[in-house]
Amino acid sequence: MTLNEKLKTIIIEELNLEDVRAEDIEDDEPLFGEGLELDSLDAVELVVQVRKHFGVEINDIEEGRLAFQSINSLRHFIEERMTP
Amino acid sequence: MQRTEKQETDTRLPRWSSRSLGTRFGHNIFYALIQLGGRRLGYFALHWVVLYYVLCRPSIRGRSYDYLRHRFPNQSLIMRYVNCYRIFLEMGRVLVDRTFLGYMGAEKMKSTVHGRQELLDLVKKGRGVILLMSHVGCWQVAISALNFLKVTVNLLLEQEEGNIDRHYFEYAGVTCPIRIIDPGSYLGGTLQILDVLKKGEMVCMMGDRVFGSGKSCLQVDFLGEKAPFPFSAFKIASATGAPIVVFFSYKTGYDSYALKVSKIIQTPENLGRSGESYRQYVTQFVNELELYTREHPYQFFNFFNMWQK
Repeated sequence: MTLNEKLKTIIIEELNLEDVRAEDIEDDEPLFGEGLELDSLDAVELVVQVRKHFGVEINDIEEGRLAFQSINSLRHFIEERMTP
Repeated sequence: MQRTEKQETDTRLPRWSSRSLGTRFGHNIFYALIQLGGRRLGYFALHWVVLYYVLCRPSIRGRSYDYLRHRFPNQSLIMRYVNCYRIFLEMGRVLVDRTFLGYMGAEKMKSTVHGRQELLDLVKKGRGVILLMSHVGCWQVAISALNFLKVTVNLLLEQEEGNIDRHYFEYAGVTCPIRIIDPGSYLGGTLQILDVLKKGEMVCMMGDRVFGSGKSCLQVDFLGEKAPFPFSAFKIASATGAPIVVFFSYKTGYDSYALKVSKIIQTPENLGRSGESYRQYVTQFVNELELYTREHPYQFFNFFNMWQK
């Protein structure tokens, strides 16, 4: 499973997205607002899940803006911080 | 706080407005009176202004009815007018006090904190504290009295155009002593909230108003009928481990307020996304709020229909 696929699975399962399959989520699709239409409380859950699964912290608005654009940007954000 | 953009609204929810009851001209007259004659002159003028609103402005008078109807279900027509007068008068006194607080400084207002040691103990734990308040008493006095905690206080505050009530720190022309988090900012300010809680700071939020979509609220019994209350504070508490302190203020005398830690709620960690997981905690908050309205019926200042279907 690629990191993108893992992220999609986490989002669907942990955020209880009904009627959404991993293959429905585009890698460049916006996560918030348009696209997946997650909301601000989903952001709280996503911060928690990224910390739980990858040990990576999303600390503030700037990092959030960077990470939460799309699945690709979230993967990039995690990879950068996981690399020693 | 639940909204990601200011435009995101849900017409199914009761709409509240932070627009002021009075006009800018009326407010400016009060500011001048308070500066000239202190609070006593402000209070004196208030009686006449409130009487005018109660007798001659039915649309404004009507804004108090939804709450009064629930709090005093068997009130007669005359008592409805009397209760309306009393609640508007209390609201006016709080506004005068708030203005006075800004001009004269917080130390001129006596405030007694009940639960001081509990607050100190919670801050010391370093997990941050969510102070869950309500539109009751004078929350500005409550916040200004938190200096003893020696911790940065953040306030989630939305102000829409048309709200001409200034905050106490705006009169003195000083830098705002608290940090404002705008719920209209990116992701409703949630990332900022997580950040400051991680630093062990305090975040003040209102537990009685719902912004944006109804996704983040639960229908809970309040004064005999279901009303929507947000569960966002409890979700953030569950995600961060921060305790929730239900904190209310009430006016106790001419120049005194009491601030009370009404309840401390610790939500289990990682309760998840479903709103139902937070029902028992939201209900605890609402029960405390209802108790407050029993004890201080004229210091509850939500002038909109919270119970609107």
